[in-house]
Amino acid sequence: MEALSPDLQRLLQQASIEDRHAVLDLSAVEAFDSAGMAFLIEALQEAKAQEIDLRLVGVRPSVSDFFSLVGIERLLVPDKTAPKRNFVERLGDKAIPVIERVGAGKDLLLEAAQTLVDSSTGGRRSGKGRFFLELEHTGIGAIGIVGLIGFLLGLILAMQAWVQLKVFGADKYVADMVAVSITREIGPLMTAILVAARSGSSIAAQLGTMVINEEVDALRQMGINPVRYLVVPKVGALALATPCLAILFSTIAIFGGLLFGVFVVDLGWQVYIEATSDALQAGDILGSLLKSTVFGSLVAFVACSLGLNVKGGPVGVGKATTGAVVASIFLIIVFDAVFVLLLRVGA
Amino acid sequence: MRIFKRRPRIPKELLNRTPPTEELIRGIALETSFDGRTVLKGVDLSVLQGEVFVILGPSGCGKTTLLRHLSGMLPPTMGIVQLFGRDLYTLKGKELAEMRGRMGFSFQGGALLNSMSVLENVSLPLHESSRLAPARIERIAKLKLDMVGLLHAAQLSPSSLSGGMKKRAAIARAMALDPELIFFDEPSAGLDPITAVEVDNLILKLNKVFGITMVVVTHDIPSAFMIADRMIMLSEGRILARGTPDEIRENKDSKVQDFIHRALPAEEQRSGGLARFLKT
Repeated sequence: MEALSPDLQRLLQQASIEDRHAVLDLSAVEAFDSAGMAFLIEALQEAKAQEIDLRLVGVRPSVSDFFSLVGIERLLVPDKTAPKRNFVERLGDKAIPVIERVGAGKDLLLEAAQTLVDSSTGGRRSGKGRFFLELEHTGIGAIGIVGLIGFLLGLILAMQAWVQLKVFGADKYVADMVAVSITREIGPLMTAILVAARSGSSIAAQLGTMVINEEVDALRQMGINPVRYLVVPKVGALALATPCLAILFSTIAIFGGLLFGVFVVDLGWQVYIEATSDALQAGDILGSLLKSTVFGSLVAFVACSLGLNVKGGPVGVGKATTGAVVASIFLIIVFDAVFVLLLRVGA
Repeated sequence: MRIFKRRPRIPKELLNRTPPTEELIRGIALETSFDGRTVLKGVDLSVLQGEVFVILGPSGCGKTTLLRHLSGMLPPTMGIVQLFGRDLYTLKGKELAEMRGRMGFSFQGGALLNSMSVLENVSLPLHESSRLAPARIERIAKLKLDMVGLLHAAQLSPSSLSGGMKKRAAIARAMALDPELIFFDEPSAGLDPITAVEVDNLILKLNKVFGITMVVVTHDIPSAFMIADRMIMLSEGRILARGTPDEIRENKDSKVQDFIHRALPAEEQRSGGLARFLKT
């Protein structure tokens, strides 16, 4: 025990050689603070460990008063150290929560599907109201930021494309480049990421707080299925809002590219618009809509699942919120790769 | 229209009934553990129709867990809960929903939905499980709010209510579907003594007027003795004593007496054990 003073160590050492008795004179100590008390307990603990009978003399009433607040016997029990876990066990510690989360997500998915199919769950009069409320939060509320980011990205993309293309004298392909990359990839992807950051976090935090405040228990107790009441409107709203936002994003981004094309590259309005409409196919727009719908539902599901499974107070809500954004963005990218593979590479 | 299918509630006094003996809840050998820590170690109890049944005990003795078992929120690790003669944890779907409609729950912190007003909170169960016209639902909800003395706060948001008002609003919401049984989790926790007495009086009033069976979990000794028809005292996951308040008061068990008289158990009145280390 390194915390013990050398004097005390000498005392204990001496005692261990001699008759295993030692006396600690405290009569000169006028006052003890918490550190002093802790020192005293460490000394007694160390003596006990070395099987030395350490006795105290000159203990002032204030010290014994302090010890009337604590149980010295309990404090002298050596600290238990958790047994060291091996690699497999540690791997399991990390993996099990992830597997549990995936399992919870799957259960939620099944339950939501069940509530949609099952019409016997009764009054869903207020369901429509909650759906439109969610739509307003997640859809209309996001128009500003989605439009702004879309405009700037369209502009940036046009600039980047122009720098490369003008080397080959292919200036006029700026329009095609912007239209195709925005509609197929950047529009749905950026919109989904914005939705994850904006609505995914908010859903997870809201549901998590409701769990902590026992509001979800209260719903269940009132005979209201929390999945139907909370999850279904949110998933529905995001599944509808995200493709709309993606179309908005793409349109404004193409407009941003158009401004650059017209005023910097000097392509002319009509040329740019014609090039854009030639470059885009109906399949691009449909694919973009389909992708966004899937991304939106994904964000809502992940956020709801993590939010409803919050444990451990405010810290748990924080973790769920972070987890919702990180996991949704990861899953969005994975699903995007799958889409590209199926729609472009496969076809 | 379930609300109207149920038999109308007539004040007990008018019916001049003999004290009811019908068993509403029965818990058999309830045992529960969380992460290897045993919380309940074999609890048997029965709650009779129309009584105020109090589960009394110190913090952490497992009483809230017991209440969650009895109200269908959390299945026990072992044992059976029977409600209205049915095994609660075997019910599913419609039957479970119907059972839930027969009981209300008042949570410790109220658990009002923060996204809606007090009135909307009370109307919510009605909107969800009845097909009544919205205007009628609002009238019923206002009736319930007036019963708990909160009509003036109907349009307020739950976050702007005081602790006592939140509890009363939660009671109004628990009353929304005319339940036969209401569970209370610590109704007087966090309230000043005056407000706590008000909530106790409200529980008694609702019990007397509507004959609603009340199961109340509390650590508040004066409140428990004031409202209980019968009570159990829980300690470290076991029932220490059961009976009417008078029988509990007469109980000879030293732990029971210590708890009632708010004294520390003998072993806790320690001198710190420093004496052993003093040189004589």
